[in-house]
Amino acid sequence: MLFRRFAIFIYAILILVPLTMVVLTSMKTLEQTFDNPLGIPTDGLIVENFINIFQEQTMAGYFVNSSVVTLFSVSFTLIFAAMIAFGITRLNDWKGNVLFALFTIGMMIPPQVNMVPLYSLILNLGLTNSLLGLVLVNISSTIPVAVFILTGFMKTLPKELLEASTIDGAGNWRIFTKVVVPLSLPSLSATAIFLLVMHWNDLLYPLLFITDNAYKTLPLALLDFQGQYSTNYPMLFTGVLIASVPMVIMYIFLQRYFVAGMTSGTVKG
Amino acid sequence: MKKWLICFIAFLGMIVLAACADESSQEKQSEDDSASASEGEDTTQLSFIHWRGEDKEVFEDIISQFEEENPNINVEMNIYPSEQYQSNAQQLLRDGSTGDVFTSQPGTQFEAMKEAGLFTDLTDEDFVSKFSEGSLSVGQADGKQLAIPYQMVFNMPVYNKGMFEELGLEVPGSWSEYQEMADTLMENDIIPVVFPGADIGPNQTMNSMMMNNAKDEDIFQKLESGEESLTNEWWVTTLEDFQFFNENGYFQENALGTNQDSAMQMVANEEAAMIATGSYHMATLKELNPDLKLGFLPPITVEEGEVDYEGIHTATFMLAINSNSEKKEEAKKFINFLSEPEIASQYANGTGQHLTVTDVEYESEELQNTAHWITDKNTRFQPRYLITEAAVEEAVLGSIENVLGGASPEEAAKEAQQIVEENID
Amino acid sequence: MKISKSIYLFFIPGLVLYSIFFVFPTLSALFYSFTDWDGISADFNFIGFENYQRAAAGDSIFMKSVGNNLEFMFFVAVFQTLVALVFAIFLVKNTKFNYFLRALFFFPTILSSVSVAFIWAFVYDPNLGILNQLLSLLGLEFLTQNWLGNGDIAIYSLAFTQVWFHAGQMLIIFVAGLHAIPNDLYEAAKIEGASRWQIFKKITWPLLAPSATIVIAYTTIQSFQAFDLVFALTGGGPNYSTEIIATYIYSIAFRGYDFGYASAISVIFMGIIALITYIQFKVLRSNRVSY
Repeated sequence: MLFRRFAIFIYAILILVPLTMVVLTSMKTLEQTFDNPLGIPTDGLIVENFINIFQEQTMAGYFVNSSVVTLFSVSFTLIFAAMIAFGITRLNDWKGNVLFALFTIGMMIPPQVNMVPLYSLILNLGLTNSLLGLVLVNISSTIPVAVFILTGFMKTLPKELLEASTIDGAGNWRIFTKVVVPLSLPSLSATAIFLLVMHWNDLLYPLLFITDNAYKTLPLALLDFQGQYSTNYPMLFTGVLIASVPMVIMYIFLQRYFVAGMTSGTVKG
Repeated sequence: MKKWLICFIAFLGMIVLAACADESSQEKQSEDDSASASEGEDTTQLSFIHWRGEDKEVFEDIISQFEEENPNINVEMNIYPSEQYQSNAQQLLRDGSTGDVFTSQPGTQFEAMKEAGLFTDLTDEDFVSKFSEGSLSVGQADGKQLAIPYQMVFNMPVYNKGMFEELGLEVPGSWSEYQEMADTLMENDIIPVVFPGADIGPNQTMNSMMMNNAKDEDIFQKLESGEESLTNEWWVTTLEDFQFFNENGYFQENALGTNQDSAMQMVANEEAAMIATGSYHMATLKELNPDLKLGFLPPITVEEGEVDYEGIHTATFMLAINSNSEKKEEAKKFINFLSEPEIASQYANGTGQHLTVTDVEYESEELQNTAHWITDKNTRFQPRYLITEAAVEEAVLGSIENVLGGASPEEAAKEAQQIVEENID
Repeated sequence: MKISKSIYLFFIPGLVLYSIFFVFPTLSALFYSFTDWDGISADFNFIGFENYQRAAAGDSIFMKSVGNNLEFMFFVAVFQTLVALVFAIFLVKNTKFNYFLRALFFFPTILSSVSVAFIWAFVYDPNLGILNQLLSLLGLEFLTQNWLGNGDIAIYSLAFTQVWFHAGQMLIIFVAGLHAIPNDLYEAAKIEGASRWQIFKKITWPLLAPSATIVIAYTTIQSFQAFDLVFALTGGGPNYSTEIIATYIYSIAFRGYDFGYASAISVIFMGIIALITYIQFKVLRSNRVSY
């Protein structure tokens, strides 16, 4: 079908052109960008912006911070949310429904709603400029969506299986670790990817709690570039590239998991 | 599962790699730390916060000189993007651990920080006398000197002097001369004024545009107390002037979408004769095009006899000491150091700015050529900074954007006035 | 069946964190909405419903931001769902090429909103932006626009960016939903001689309803949370034309230091979202069919 092909072509162009431009622009000087925004970089500037940005910024530090925060946030959100989802599925009564509602209502509350009381709280706990504070807030803020996805999946597990295990005399913890978790692996990996993307890219909480360069994460550092380089697109895009690299690499290798995974849990819910 | 494992390992690998790379920079830091620690147990850590990212290197150099002179004080500088500084500085300053020495802008920020009791009274400090008297008033409240402006910024269009000489143009002294000048420029296919409407254009240009339309310096105070209205002549005329500039091609096309960098590039490429921002852009313009000769040329929108004010100045980057700080004495030493003529000169020349400190020697041609604006010209303190309510300021700026977007000045003024009334008590 | 009481232990770690760092601050916001707290000083006064009255009766920017937000949400919800659905149908077959295309369209989702904002600031830039340049190259000069500077279209430019950012994610949800539809239903319909449109109407769409519910619910929440994007691209301007509720709350709280009032607006904001979500679920749920 001609229309189909044409539409797909247009969509592909819409995705590819801006992304290509990011790569090309990061290899130009500001002047070249102004002279010829669409052109191919002319001389050997390929790495100059990268060198500059690494010299001017503690990029490696931002990178480590982002990685640490993401790794811990994802792991703990996943563990805690899976336990909650299991609890809700297991209870399977009004109490379970109330708990499900309590957690998932958080999905509907935009983080801007509670950002300032949250800031006061973090300040009073002495958790500003600390990666731990960031991790704690991250976990709390993504538990709702993780519970939502995982409960949706666990409810589809055959009841007989759980009941059979109970009759066999297995305790809740045993059922959880030996039966439910292994069966939920597809859904857990889906949620993990979802959380990974969310935490890696999160801006608001670092913006609120981190002021010390030593604890900044990549998105926050990136936003600061806008303050420092104004609309110096080559520098900004160099930053964009560096901040995106880990996700892109993971995406290339785990593409099927990203794409199929990110949704399997949600749809079956 | 295998793929997951590989990726997980790769991810860990990247972290380790980055950590190794980071170590070198941290090592440097810890060397610094240990160096300062070895100098004695009673080293004081002084925190200095501000928003001037472009001044980082100069400040670092000044700080190391200060530390040499005061071996028991260690200054830790933290720079925030101005947007973030605007929103977070007060929260940071509250507990006293950050920002022993901090900076404030005049106007809404100064007002809010004063309300929050963040300033230490500096009235009796010796260093106050090193600053030009006229500039000090913006940091005063209730008869006390709470903050001391350091920088002197001129918020008015910067023009290409060389281009004017080539075209045989004179700096206009009246509205009719200004129009003639603009026409000549346009005949030569040059945009008279490039207006960065996407970011700072409105908030910078409103000042010089209104300076002779509303000569009362208390106009915004009256607006906020309800005695004045944006629908009155002074503001409607100002909006009409904006409309005139926009509709007659004095501003470039798409003025509202243009950002500062594009605007500067247009001046550097000599596509435009003026940039509607301020003195702080002169250094960057020279970097972009070293052949430029620059000066100030505010829009003169009234006839010759009506010109009372020749330009706009702002004494800003106000140095202050956190009232919650436990290191006030050290903080005062640091401010005193910054106000010494040699240090101030280094800062002025290093960052390409005028300062409020007297006895500063300006080196660059631009600074020298324009320094006479500090003393000889009748400039007016930036009116925008006399607005104390953020919502009122946004309404005022919104009306400019509204007019540039095509609304009629009366309509825009009326809309903005309504917002103002909703936000004043 | 009796379940051991130990099941309640499973809730504890999550519940503790969630209560401290989410529920408590949210309730605090409710509490502060009845005060005139400035976010900084230790003391404040209770002023009853004054903040709510102000929002309801005397704040034209708030009204405008609600309008903008609804406009933005509506445009994104309709356009994004449509794009995602159409392309999901186009790419439903599991061929290698389709895998690649799905992965490509999904790609923007993995970027941070700051990155996306930077990219589109450059695309929309009227002076050197590639959008206007491309339009000129194609001889479509009359279509060039001041995409973010023109108050009449800026909100749509932002909405388009939002769709670019997230449509791929929704597309994947639809593809999964399509794959979940049993094939024999289609075959039976074909044997009975149903037309393509009939098949879509009677089988595909009703069975896709759960996916559609999720897509629309996600889209709605996302478009209410587009704070980062709006903040980094236009900051609410020009002349409030892209001010949305979230950016307005930020500006009241952190520029105007009127935290009590910002809290009141936050609470209203929550109410609006709850209402919209409720309506959506009601409408879409009635749509559900099971075979």
